[in-house]
Amino acid sequence: MLPDVFGAVSNPARRVILDELCDGPRTAGELTGLLDLSRSAASEHLAVLREAGLVREERRGRHRLYHLQAAGLAEVGGWVKHFERYWTQRLDALENLLDEEKPS
Amino acid sequence: MTENTIRLERRLPHPTAAVWAALTTPDLLARWWAPGDIAPVVGHRFTMDMGAWGHQQCEVLAVEPGTLISFLFSEGQLDTTVTWRLEAVEDGTVLHLEHEGFRLDTPMGQQAFEGMGNGWPGLLSRIDGVLSGVS
Repeated sequence: MLPDVFGAVSNPARRVILDELCDGPRTAGELTGLLDLSRSAASEHLAVLREAGLVREERRGRHRLYHLQAAGLAEVGGWVKHFERYWTQRLDALENLLDEEKPS
Repeated sequence: MTENTIRLERRLPHPTAAVWAALTTPDLLARWWAPGDIAPVVGHRFTMDMGAWGHQQCEVLAVEPGTLISFLFSEGQLDTTVTWRLEAVEDGTVLHLEHEGFRLDTPMGQQAFEGMGNGWPGLLSRIDGVLSGVS
């Protein structure tokens, strides 16, 4: 039920990434080194953060540089908004159910 | 951050009786929201199975059959109140949702704000700094 951004920050490894990015952009390699994780596990975490809008990826030569997306973190502050989105989706589901159940 | 109530409304081309059933019958509720043994009886305590978020304790606070049901949602975690109000209109029902009482000092509110867990001390204050830099 939790909105993406909460899921994204619920993981300790991803919080380490965000914490590090508070100090400035880092390359994928730097972040992987920080995490004591395999390259593929680290890149999965980065993908989750990217999809949640918490980090932005920039290709620089053969490196990928990650930036903190502060606006995404603002959304963590505006957490109530996530529940609004959540309920809007649930209302859609309710409407579909009622349409299905409608006696024809 | 100041707004701690969600208000939504949805116009549904269905009679209020059908909408009421969908809100208060466990079988139907499970199909659009989550499994839970809700019953439109004041004082009825029930849990909603919110998946990864776990079972949330609820308690029915007010009922006007066919028109209104209000319940405490996520006791001890989110500590909020959900109220459904059904308004009969010519071509169906206008369903009003009010989800109120979001507070950052609840366990869930704090977790949400601080990052859904422990081990992230300091980031909260740092976020403020980062945000003031961009806004």
